[in-house]
Amino acid sequence: MTHSTRTLSVGELSRIEGEAAMHVAVRDGLVEDVRLQIYEPPRFFEAFLRGRAHTEPPDITARICGICPVAYQMSACQAIEDACGVRVDGVLRDLRRLLYCGEWIESHALHVYMLHAPDFLGYPSAVHMARDHRAVVERGLDLKKTGNEILTAVGGRAIHPVNVRVGGFHRAPARAEIAPLRERLLRGRDAALDTVRWVSTFDFPDVHGDWELVSLRHATEYPILDGRVVSSGGVDVAVRDWESSFVESHVAHSTALHGQRPDGAHYLTGPLARYSLNFDRLPAIAQAAARAAGLGETCRNPFQSIVVRAVELLVACEEALRIVERYEPPDRPFVDVPPRAGRGHGASEAPRGTLYHRYDIDADGTVTAALIVPPTAQNQAAIEDDLRGFVAPRLHLSDEELTRQCEMAIRNHDPCISCATHFLDLVVERR
Amino acid sequence: MKEGIVVIGIGNPYRRDDGVGLEVLRRVEELRLPGVRCMESDGESTSLCEAWRDASLAVVVDAVRSGAAPGTLHVGTMGADAVAVHTPRGGSHALSLADALALGEVLDRLPGRLAVVGVEAGDVAQGPGLSDAVAAAVDAATEAVRAACSEAG
Repeated sequence: MTHSTRTLSVGELSRIEGEAAMHVAVRDGLVEDVRLQIYEPPRFFEAFLRGRAHTEPPDITARICGICPVAYQMSACQAIEDACGVRVDGVLRDLRRLLYCGEWIESHALHVYMLHAPDFLGYPSAVHMARDHRAVVERGLDLKKTGNEILTAVGGRAIHPVNVRVGGFHRAPARAEIAPLRERLLRGRDAALDTVRWVSTFDFPDVHGDWELVSLRHATEYPILDGRVVSSGGVDVAVRDWESSFVESHVAHSTALHGQRPDGAHYLTGPLARYSLNFDRLPAIAQAAARAAGLGETCRNPFQSIVVRAVELLVACEEALRIVERYEPPDRPFVDVPPRAGRGHGASEAPRGTLYHRYDIDADGTVTAALIVPPTAQNQAAIEDDLRGFVAPRLHLSDEELTRQCEMAIRNHDPCISCATHFLDLVVERR
Repeated sequence: MKEGIVVIGIGNPYRRDDGVGLEVLRRVEELRLPGVRCMESDGESTSLCEAWRDASLAVVVDAVRSGAAPGTLHVGTMGADAVAVHTPRGGSHALSLADALALGEVLDRLPGRLAVVGVEAGDVAQGPGLSDAVAAAVDAATEAVRAACSEAG
């Protein structure tokens, strides 16, 4: 029997954070294999953390990702505090949430404007888009700067914030340092509203993902810093029970571990999951903007993730504004976290999804074991499923166009391969 | 009006020689050069544009891979033969120094002048600490940054 085979290779997949390789194999008109190949130097940071003091993981793990260091700091702090039986609340929690809003604003503004929007408007890059849409790109950069200024005011500097420590902060910002953020956030909130309206006018392919959606869910807030772990499949557990509902498995084509349910089913974490599981927790302004943009109470079209990210930009601006307006510095910038032997778990919502940390520490505070499960590693299998379903009805497209659309489908999930590893090349093989 | 000098160190201290930009930045900070602002960057293009847009001179210090011997200095070289690296095969982020220059040009966010001090990386595996060849180049790279700053001053 003669097989109809074609091979298509693309050197680099651009506009994602980091690098990996995507391999799509097609035989006789059927999609035979889809693999997201990630070459992660195995678990360097988890090994590197063993033997360190219990005060060190927030600073060390923040270096895993230049885009979402706050997520790593917050999940690490909460896990260590959990191990030590300490709870951080009140204004210190507000400050953490404010810092995290800054990271969401920075990360989402970068993805929406610089990485994702060019796909919808037909530009090969944000630089090309900026030539024709300068005012729009300037608005995106101004939004990003809003996040940047929050990170500087609360985190001590814009990149790899240094002010975070287990138990709170090294120094609490003065009222006078936080107050100027109000004007900027008012402008940012307007820009976020404009962003929701702008991206809602894009054309979206009619695609529906049937993944199990997983995110944190808080009693009253849209989930950013903490909450229970819930899913569209009925999971509802405390963070300490995360590993009873989700497991990591090794696959041959990737050195990053794939996240999956114990029965092998794949799941998706990130903006679509957060939104769909927490619509009732959105601030009123964000609910209204989402409805006006044509979103329902759930969203399973990965291409519309750009609209959901824009809604989350609005959430972060609104929430940051609320915290800034009522901010009074705490009496002490941190609570003591004396070590004790035990195991602690922490999870928070990184811009790309749930980031889970677990640490074992001994009585003098030495870390004896660490587990870090980044969102992109959890989403890898779901992204592959997505691609498989996406490619099948589009095999009539030219190699060039199919590749372009595959890249776009991958960017829908804003994979942060930096967290999981580096490198992304795309290979589509037709055989 | 663009004024002042910004020295921008790019790199990842947990990718061995990729951290050289940060080590040189730390050394330049110790010199306390008048009128010189030092800052760390992940190299992401919009951040770079923001960091240097108002500066009369920006000096970017980063690890470089061009095929030269590890520790080789590339001073003032820009473009295809001196690509900033974070990982063994190229930039770790899709938006690179080259993108930052292109974006800066479109949006009028370029510094008055731009100098690049690159140090050829050898080992960029996971882990802290510079390789011997690259560590030995830190003094010369720091001096190159100081010289670029004083020429501008």
